[in-house]
Amino acid sequence: MVESAKGMNDLSSEMEVDAFRRLFPLRFHERHLLESVRPDARPLGKARDTSLALGAVASADGSALAKIGSTTMLAAIKMEVMTPAKETPDEGCIAIEFHMPAICSPIVRPGRPAEAAPVVSKQLSDTIVSSGMLDLKELSLVSGKAAWMAYLDIYCLDADGALFDAALLAAVAAFSHLQIPVVSLNDDGRIVVFSKESEGEKPKNKPVNEEKRKLKLRSIPFGLTCIIHKNYILADPTAEEESIMETLITIVLDSSYQLVSLYKPGGPALAYQPIIQDCIALSRQRVGELQTILNEAICDMEVD
Amino acid sequence: MAAKAGTTPATYSPSPTTNNKKKNRTPLFSDVDWVRPDGRDFHQCRPAFLRTGAVNAASGSAYAEFGNTKVIVSIFGPRESKKAMMYSDIGRLNCNVSYTTFATPVRSQVSDNKDISSQLHKSLEGAIMLNTFPKTTVDVFALVLESGGCDLPVIISCASLALADAGIMMYDLVAAVSVSCIGKNLVIDPISEEENHQDGNLMTTCLPSRNEVTQLTITGEWSTPKIHEAMELCLDACSKLGKIMRSCLKESASTSQE
Amino acid sequence: MEVDRADGRTPNQRRPVVCTRGVLHRAHGSASWAQGDTKVIAAVYGPKAGTKKNENPEKACIEVIWKPKTGQSGKPEREYEMVLKKTLQSICLLNVHPNTTTTIVIQVVNDDGALLPCAINAACSALVDAGIPLKHLAVAICCCMVESGHVILDPSKLEEQNMKAFVYLVFPNSIISVLPDGSKRPGGEAMEHGIITSVTHGVMAVDDYFSCVKLGRAAAAELSDFVRNSLKLKAGNDPSKVG
Repeated sequence: MVESAKGMNDLSSEMEVDAFRRLFPLRFHERHLLESVRPDARPLGKARDTSLALGAVASADGSALAKIGSTTMLAAIKMEVMTPAKETPDEGCIAIEFHMPAICSPIVRPGRPAEAAPVVSKQLSDTIVSSGMLDLKELSLVSGKAAWMAYLDIYCLDADGALFDAALLAAVAAFSHLQIPVVSLNDDGRIVVFSKESEGEKPKNKPVNEEKRKLKLRSIPFGLTCIIHKNYILADPTAEEESIMETLITIVLDSSYQLVSLYKPGGPALAYQPIIQDCIALSRQRVGELQTILNEAICDMEVD
Repeated sequence: MAAKAGTTPATYSPSPTTNNKKKNRTPLFSDVDWVRPDGRDFHQCRPAFLRTGAVNAASGSAYAEFGNTKVIVSIFGPRESKKAMMYSDIGRLNCNVSYTTFATPVRSQVSDNKDISSQLHKSLEGAIMLNTFPKTTVDVFALVLESGGCDLPVIISCASLALADAGIMMYDLVAAVSVSCIGKNLVIDPISEEENHQDGNLMTTCLPSRNEVTQLTITGEWSTPKIHEAMELCLDACSKLGKIMRSCLKESASTSQE
Repeated sequence: MEVDRADGRTPNQRRPVVCTRGVLHRAHGSASWAQGDTKVIAAVYGPKAGTKKNENPEKACIEVIWKPKTGQSGKPEREYEMVLKKTLQSICLLNVHPNTTTTIVIQVVNDDGALLPCAINAACSALVDAGIPLKHLAVAICCCMVESGHVILDPSKLEEQNMKAFVYLVFPNSIISVLPDGSKRPGGEAMEHGIITSVTHGVMAVDDYFSCVKLGRAAAAELSDFVRNSLKLKAGNDPSKVG
């Protein structure tokens, strides 16, 4: 895409464009904005191509690989058993962790975790918990004794802007792929996986849940990050755009277009009401797109 | 039994542990004739899937999938060495390997893999022309997405492919293969289940077209003739793997030209 | 319309604010800010030479360290640090002291709701106390959505926990300019109507968000007058109070 944009100039000026881009990044981008186009040939309000694949990790109970442009997220859920808290004997628990391993970006070095990782982690768990997408009661096994703890780990494999949006998409997709394993209570009061082999040996231990089941997800949240620069709104920014125009606004809407989060951490540009309304309109559109992508991914999974 | 698998005090995994299987399966592995869990011949490698350019943010990268073992390696640099580093006429190589929490059957949070990182460093060092990037550092970062046995050899092969993708000068690609000795049998490219029951392991990393070995690791119980046999097996497999890696690079080069 | 609040406040009533500057002797600037029982001390050190790695050396670098009341700092503290850093970056004149680092340390003394807005207000006063060049001040406020759909301001911890949703908003304070219409944008909207920072928790309708913004803006204007008055007083130990 980038190449095609550059291709418009003849070869002799190609170096100059590249040099201009590096030396005067802001002017380079503003020149594009004047023409209502972005360096990767997108219109301002358009998100990058998005793809989603469920079941990417064989060893996990639920997993998904989400790609927005070249930003890639791998999310996987592992189910473990815990004793529920006294106040909520009928509820399971979820633990969400966002990782930025050294492979994903030149800024991250091993042993020195990226500043963004804990912040995105916190944002993700806030968003998923407060959206009411999951009913924690569904994660209960034996009231007061055992409940599921869903460990959701999201790895950023390639960081190219809009990390939160991609991570949230991977997270909700992993939850929609999640299959809760069939387990039984053994003699020691422990929960073990109910396998066909042990069926013959210990018929007395009935499975706690009848069959592999999926969680019912209500009002799935989807996010869109925009850059506010002067009077322009750029949807789904790349890492380069994020580093040059620093005012970011992330809007999370659920499937019924309720506002789950409106997150604007500072930035040199102020957000006025009309701009926010425009951003929300873009997010509404994006929720529709992402909903379709998620549904298609689920259908693909069921066909296989 | 299963409960012992739990790593954190608060939660435990309901899946059966490997200890459980050991009891049942060990006799099977010690037989002269047994079938490998994935149905391969003893001297047959898993099908390899290799792809370069997996991570756009990196200077070069590669993805490798050998059965259930899935690895991504990113290369950054050559870039400025750490400030604390002394002046150096030749380039530096910095390797780091990490695992995802879901790489192993039971969720783990171990992120320290100094041993694997240093082994990766040793096997690559000999193949890279460090004098071509003086004063700078090349970072080789690997992430094991899923661990299904033979992690280190897969990481090494994948890393050399990524280095080639990044345009780092090398004498040759580095191909790595390991062989497990289980009872009387030699098993090439073992999966984790087989690795758990092995009596010994031999890993060779070599430069296939120069027929040079950059690293040779032997652990466990071995007899001299067995070592010879395993070494032959490895070198043969390495040269085949080298060809696959070469064709993968050619393919990506021809697609990028189009 | 009436919402009963545990402490007998009306929905639009903020808790009493106490702002004291220069509370610490070793820091280059400091301030303590209390809203009811929520109290935060902010200390400013700098500008010191040099910026951290990955920061633009052509601009001043702002570093925020959040110290929780007890225990170690974890993910929530990291998030607070990031929000504070970006908020303060947007009000500081970063070009005045290029290649320097200014460190702001936030010590939570007591958390009784609206902690982040309280910390932003404290940090702002501390920056003024340290004489760091600013474009304008930032005024932070917390609005809460009650189940019934009403909005209440400046909630206590208990109210925050029982809320359907709440919003932290940061606005610029109104500039008194010598130029006519200096504070007006070409679009005609006053600068203090723009949102610097917005952080929300909980699900709400989009319209509810805007009604929060409207109320928050009115409250921020009051607060902004208070800040201006309290900063006019000579730096020192004279605390000022408003109801």
